[in-house]
Amino acid sequence: MFRFGLRLTLRSGKEAFARLLLTMIAVSIGTAILFAALADFHAFQAANNRPAWEKTGQAADDQMFTSRASLPTTQGKLLWNYNNDIFKGKTIERLGVAAISTSAPVLPGISRLPAAGEYYASPALTTLLHRTPYNMLGARFPGKQVGVIGKEALTSPDELVIFIGYNLAELRALPTTIGVNTIASAHQTNVWTGYFRYAYIFGTLALLFPILLLINTATRLAAARREERFAALRLVGATPHQLNVIASVDAFVSALFGVLLGAGIFQFIQSSLAKASITGGHYFASDVTPTLLGYGVTILLVPIASAIAALISLRRVRISPLGVSRKTTPPAPKAWRTIPLLAGIGLFALGIAMTTHQTIAAPVYVGLILILIGFSIGGPWMTMTSARVLSKLVPSASSLLAARRLANDPKTAFRAVSGLVLAAFLGTTLAALLPSINSTTATPSATALQNVLLVSLTPGVLCGNEVNCTGANRPTTTTDGEFGLTPQTGATLLNGLRNFPDITTIPLYANPKAIDAAQHMEGGAPTPGQQMPGDSIIRCSDLQKVSVLGTCPVGAKAVVAAPDFMSDNPSYSTQAIASPASEAASDNVTGLYLSTLLIKVSNPNTLEEVRTFLATHTSTSLSGTAPRTFGEAVAVRLSISVTIQRIFNGAVALTLFIAGCSLAVTVGGSMVERKRPFSLLRLSGVPTSVLYRVVLYEAVMPLLGAAVAAASIGYGIALITVEKIGAAGTRVPTLGHNYFIVMGFGLIASLIVILMTLPLLGRITKPDEVRFE
Amino acid sequence: MSGNDYILQANNVKKTFGQTPALQGADLTIRRGEMVAIMGPSGSGKSTLLHCLAGIFAPDSGEVWFDGKRLDTLSETARTELRRTAFGFVFQFGQLVPELTAADNIALPLLLDKVQRKEAYKRAASWLERLGLEGLGNRRSGEISGGQAQRVALARALVIQPKVLFADEPTGALDSLTGEKVMDLMVDIAREEGTTVVLVTHDARIASYAERAVTVRDGKVATNTKQVAGAIK
Repeated sequence: MFRFGLRLTLRSGKEAFARLLLTMIAVSIGTAILFAALADFHAFQAANNRPAWEKTGQAADDQMFTSRASLPTTQGKLLWNYNNDIFKGKTIERLGVAAISTSAPVLPGISRLPAAGEYYASPALTTLLHRTPYNMLGARFPGKQVGVIGKEALTSPDELVIFIGYNLAELRALPTTIGVNTIASAHQTNVWTGYFRYAYIFGTLALLFPILLLINTATRLAAARREERFAALRLVGATPHQLNVIASVDAFVSALFGVLLGAGIFQFIQSSLAKASITGGHYFASDVTPTLLGYGVTILLVPIASAIAALISLRRVRISPLGVSRKTTPPAPKAWRTIPLLAGIGLFALGIAMTTHQTIAAPVYVGLILILIGFSIGGPWMTMTSARVLSKLVPSASSLLAARRLANDPKTAFRAVSGLVLAAFLGTTLAALLPSINSTTATPSATALQNVLLVSLTPGVLCGNEVNCTGANRPTTTTDGEFGLTPQTGATLLNGLRNFPDITTIPLYANPKAIDAAQHMEGGAPTPGQQMPGDSIIRCSDLQKVSVLGTCPVGAKAVVAAPDFMSDNPSYSTQAIASPASEAASDNVTGLYLSTLLIKVSNPNTLEEVRTFLATHTSTSLSGTAPRTFGEAVAVRLSISVTIQRIFNGAVALTLFIAGCSLAVTVGGSMVERKRPFSLLRLSGVPTSVLYRVVLYEAVMPLLGAAVAAASIGYGIALITVEKIGAAGTRVPTLGHNYFIVMGFGLIASLIVILMTLPLLGRITKPDEVRFE
Repeated sequence: MSGNDYILQANNVKKTFGQTPALQGADLTIRRGEMVAIMGPSGSGKSTLLHCLAGIFAPDSGEVWFDGKRLDTLSETARTELRRTAFGFVFQFGQLVPELTAADNIALPLLLDKVQRKEAYKRAASWLERLGLEGLGNRRSGEISGGQAQRVALARALVIQPKVLFADEPTGALDSLTGEKVMDLMVDIAREEGTTVVLVTHDARIASYAERAVTVRDGKVATNTKQVAGAIK
């Protein structure tokens, strides 16, 4: 019976072959997307499971020496100085190392530690160094390149990493240097990794559902025609069990061919997929592949699931030797189906009303879950109702034909787009929420400061004309005070900056009163109620250069300000650092420590030259972060939400495409099933364009209707959320152009797939080829 | 008789499907308002002749005239337009759109012709009544009997008041009693409306409803075309 089933599948004429082909193509598209999702998830996991050498010194079992005074010369194995640099918005991971003993551990990705005056760079940084003028980037890194860092130390081929060798004295002098005995080998546990993982898992699940529906729809393609064949087999004595075997073989073989074709398509798109940037960086191409287990399970499970789907669909019909009859005519969905959705929206709104800035009320979660379930339950009723409305609004023959078809079996029509509904709902909610949340940190002031470099001048050394900072001559001790650069070194730095064209430098000096207060304060912290003097002095002539920083009192030449730039949170910059009420101060800054610099640079190349100048003329800050503009600080913070948004946008676009494929398969199947009435209609003089419109209505209406309904509810959810819990001044959620591009791309791709089925309709209903029984 | 008396005319029509010749020089003339039965054994080419007369197939050679105009040289679009506006069709089975109700099916050709929906359904209702299908307007094809479905198909074919009604084995799927009822209705209405009927059948009893029967054999209309004396009606 297996062989007979196989023969029937493969050699049963043109129509059976067309069905096999269509099923195969649909399954292959679904499987290729599934493989792509699995491959990307695998690459994401591989990147995050790589030993995180960056975390050295943070784990409890790392032996380290952080006190500057106790930094080892003979004990410990390695001096370690890790910090971040920035080049044109991209972070460069910069590690300085100096071996204390011969048993010092070697970093992953290189064969030996760099000696003093040598460095290893990642492939991307190597390329960047070759392409970029030396005074913009190369000058930041002392020494010469002796090798390229291997992928074992990298999470992405785009990663900019440099391992620089120093001598012990030189590295010991730099702030943030620690001594370590071991290099961390645990997995990367970035605070956002878990969120990305959830986003990935959710995105994959959001895709999996419509993919399985697509495969299921494809397997049941043109079920009515196949069932007629089964009835003929029953007539000649085939048992129901034998029909089950034939149906299973038919579905299994079609799906198996589809899966194998899907694997082939995936191989074809794999290199393009590796070039796609989903979590902000690219993955190594060799990692962008499903695991062997993923391949095996998919290749095995999809055909088995298809066979099961075919058997389930057979249970719904009674195949007798005299023909085929449906066991039950599906009743029209009732309005009660919308109750879970409406209840979910109500509960969500109630939950939001109960939510405070501290806690999210439980009904919010219950409401969200009910909304997601409610879409699935209420979808068929909404499909049926909108079909009826369409037939009333558009009183044409084609709308009548399409609306009746949809109203007759709304469950099938909705099933094809149900995955899309969930993705469009969640995608829209996020697309509306995230920019509103982000707007609370990216304030207008921060925007005004976006090309202003913030330089925190913590204790360090000033190099330049007076002091040779390179190699072994680099000074090993600091003469600068705790509150910034000494007046002399500060003045030298400012003189150096004057050589750059088109930059505006605003120096902030440490307030001597604040220094006194801090030095006399017991325990280093103010007592309750104690008023601390503002910690900075800024000249009014400098303040005027960037208006958002505020204004001086009338007649004042300098003011005491209390900027909180160190937190690097632009939300603080919503408040001006000086006002007419500020305490006036002397503008004689001679003898004051230079604590902070704000440098406005409009030209991106000049910005990098300034940054390189600062890197080579001051030591790194205590935070281990290189000077960066407010714009770069905001971009780093937003990159997380941008990545999450990108994952969901990808899921929305793909589910739209898959929904289009499912609809195309459903429509293709329905065309084959309605071949006779459609042919006879065409033969009776119905123009092909009318039939095309029927098919388009049947396919496009559920697609657009579902997308618009889900997106509208998603937007509404975002709106009431922002209204209730958004900070004052949070703007009304708007959907960015990326969202519309993604939705537009998904819809256009879906429409193209649907339009591709129209020639089939034209061909199968061609009067010249009509045969009559 | 003048040429204007003929509504349909086939002159030396030939049609081949692949290697198989279906018509090999068929000639036939049909008068306005006439009811003609085309008979013949299976594979003789009778349905192909009907399809050529209705402009469904373009013959390989020969001429087909309708109402004084060459039909075979018209474009597919023009022939489609003609089939929609001037011809009605009834087939053996499966012509009703399953999702549509009986009333929808009957109103469909009117809606295609841009008739207002209200007017279309009003006329559909009157045809339902005329064919004894009152109360069945909201039933789908799967919810009515074969005879009722054929009557709905007949109403759908006649609702546009065609000049010619083409019926290809209209009772082939019905029992004899139901078939006779459908034929009675078809003949009555065609006479009332003055519609020309071209009926393809292999059943002599059904053919006897026609005023004239012609036999197709080996792709040609046999010369011994006979007048059906005393057609049933």
